[in-house]
Amino acid sequence: MPDTPPDSNSIELPLAVRPAAAFSSPRPDLESEVISLFDQLRNPLLRYVLSIGIRVQEAEEVVQDVFLSLYRHVRIGRSRSNLRGWVFRVAHNLALKQRESSRRHLGNADGSGDVAERRYDPAPDPEEQMVRSERRKHLLAVLRALPEQDRACLYLRAEGLRYREIADVLEMSLGSVSISLTRSLARLQRADGATGAWQ
Amino acid sequence: MTIEDPHPSDREMLLAADGELSSRRAASIRAHFAGCWACRTRMSELETTIRDFIELHRSGLDPLLPAAAGPRALLKAQLAELAAGDHGESPLRLFPLSFTRTVAVCLSTAVLLAAAAMLLTRSSRSLRESAAIPVANLTPGATRPATREDVCRSEPDPNVRLVPASVRQKVFESYGLSNARPDAYEVDYLITPELGGSGDIRNLWPQPYSHTVWNAHVKDDLEDRLHEMVCDGTLDLHTAQHDIASNWIAAYKKYFHADKPIAR
Repeated sequence: MPDTPPDSNSIELPLAVRPAAAFSSPRPDLESEVISLFDQLRNPLLRYVLSIGIRVQEAEEVVQDVFLSLYRHVRIGRSRSNLRGWVFRVAHNLALKQRESSRRHLGNADGSGDVAERRYDPAPDPEEQMVRSERRKHLLAVLRALPEQDRACLYLRAEGLRYREIADVLEMSLGSVSISLTRSLARLQRADGATGAWQ
Repeated sequence: MTIEDPHPSDREMLLAADGELSSRRAASIRAHFAGCWACRTRMSELETTIRDFIELHRSGLDPLLPAAAGPRALLKAQLAELAAGDHGESPLRLFPLSFTRTVAVCLSTAVLLAAAAMLLTRSSRSLRESAAIPVANLTPGATRPATREDVCRSEPDPNVRLVPASVRQKVFESYGLSNARPDAYEVDYLITPELGGSGDIRNLWPQPYSHTVWNAHVKDDLEDRLHEMVCDGTLDLHTAQHDIASNWIAAYKKYFHADKPIAR
């Protein structure tokens, strides 16, 4: 898949653990390392949380919160292993909360609306506007008909996460990730008009 | 092809393509592909489907991603805020865990948790305030040549507050808010024109109406108060400009003698 960094099974901040005496001093290096991780992961994260079905502005706020949480996470000495998986897991959970909150808000406001159906600002569905061919329309229809967890597996894989990371983010087994991806791609392939045995 | 070398399953082919198989099994599948046109065709179809999915995914979302510069600057400012107010964030870590102090740790836990909760609350409040303040390197504030007499004219220029749509758009873009709802923000002057602020983009920022307690309506109250004070001679114009540009929330607290916005 595109955008998969080489040797990207995990991302770790290289900072050495500091002695306790250094805890009260400023850590500009930690800030710059969090910013560096933001530079690497901001767009993949934004795409992923948008695909969950929240608005662009909400997605931007979720991503900000994720990296502030990351700073606190590392600052208090929690594990630095597989920070990419950690960042996506936090983003996933925050985006789901945000989506629920928006649904409640919309429900209170006008009693209607699935936020996921209006996820892309500013138009109600610009993705739909961009579909130029029947083939792509079919793909989109199949994609939307997939169970939410299957879609999430696809989107996370599309952003370069390995199966283990996807399993951690979505709290499912490694085997379930593999089965989900296989099943989803088979469905997409049928929509894609392929006639091979792949199914 | 032999009976001992069956076609790999769809799932195995995907695992192989994604580099998720053991090296031994992956080598076995590669060897199988070398002799099996049918499986290579299936693999090619799989890659085509993945490519089409990625294209669909990216073409729908990439055009919507705001520029990173604004959010990046905002994150830096918030991290700096956290770091500045962060003196030993985890007091529990500093406590020796030796056996002789175990009892003391247990007895102190409740107190420490209460202290941590207070720190967290203070940090959250601080973050809420920082979100209401413009990013300093994007909006440091800018003034036009104006005297006290100019800003205290009885009839202010009605056009002075108008921000052209093109400038508004630039402000939103610089803050990474290209797709934000326009009615959720006021593109506001950091130093209001009534206090000599200019229309330079360095003096403009998107201020949320309701995202925070310290919203655009509250700042409007401060601007009115400072204008009154400048014009009745109790505050000089330069100080008013400096205070509102440095930290308008601190200025509000200073000139209203209040720690939180006064109910309108």
